[in-house]
Amino acid sequence: MVRNTVLNDMFSLGRIVDDFLNTAPERTGRSGYPSVDIFEGSDTIEIRASLPGVTSDDLDIELSEKTVTISGEKKEPAGDFDYLRRERIFGKFTRSVELPYRVEAESIKADLKNGVLHLSLAKSEDAKPKKIEIRQEA
Amino acid sequence: MRHEQENSHNERILSPITDVYETGDNYTMLMEMPGVEKEDLNIVLEDESLEVRGTVQAFSPEDLNLKYSDRPAGSYYRKFRIGNDIDRNSINAKLSEGTLTLTLNKAEEVKPKKIEITAH
Repeated sequence: MVRNTVLNDMFSLGRIVDDFLNTAPERTGRSGYPSVDIFEGSDTIEIRASLPGVTSDDLDIELSEKTVTISGEKKEPAGDFDYLRRERIFGKFTRSVELPYRVEAESIKADLKNGVLHLSLAKSEDAKPKKIEIRQEA
Repeated sequence: MRHEQENSHNERILSPITDVYETGDNYTMLMEMPGVEKEDLNIVLEDESLEVRGTVQAFSPEDLNLKYSDRPAGSYYRKFRIGNDIDRNSINAKLSEGTLTLTLNKAEEVKPKKIEITAH
């Protein structure tokens, strides 16, 4: 095995390089950050949001009427190092999702797993269709 | 620029967003692969090529319909070329918060060394 000498080492500044040229990664959240998927059922809503590198301490979820707002901060690691490649984006973010119906605030479940936020919401009782009893004349 | 390919299952191949930084002792690669479980990660170093694959398990519940989506769907793949200044036997991989951290330690020969100055 040939070891890099001092001289040719200077030639390979980006020692870790992509094999393909123009391999720009997928930029998520073109329509906002974080990117989201919304699944709807008759009485439940599931939201998935991609939040790699965000901890639950740096994440806030708020419900107001029919709007869920996901906000927080993706913090940049601090340290003594030189970047050879920099594609990740850091900073504060906020994104609101309009729901199709009102949900129970108490029923909201939020889990952060493998960099994905899972939000489970249940339709509020007053948004559910009600069967109206027809009174019979005596 | 968007990089996407199709694989045999017609699923899109996503190139994970990657940062690489260098310290005196190592190269650290941070790759964003949200939704990938540890078991679904595959990292192979062969000669100068480092290939990283991460499969995302599809979420398709019966009683729910996907109404809106701007999350890129597919699995992750990216190939890197690695120089010969790393210790191939001491590569560490850690997956947390949807981010894979690969630490490639430098070979002893290329690590910065403090040179002692002998006084006469």
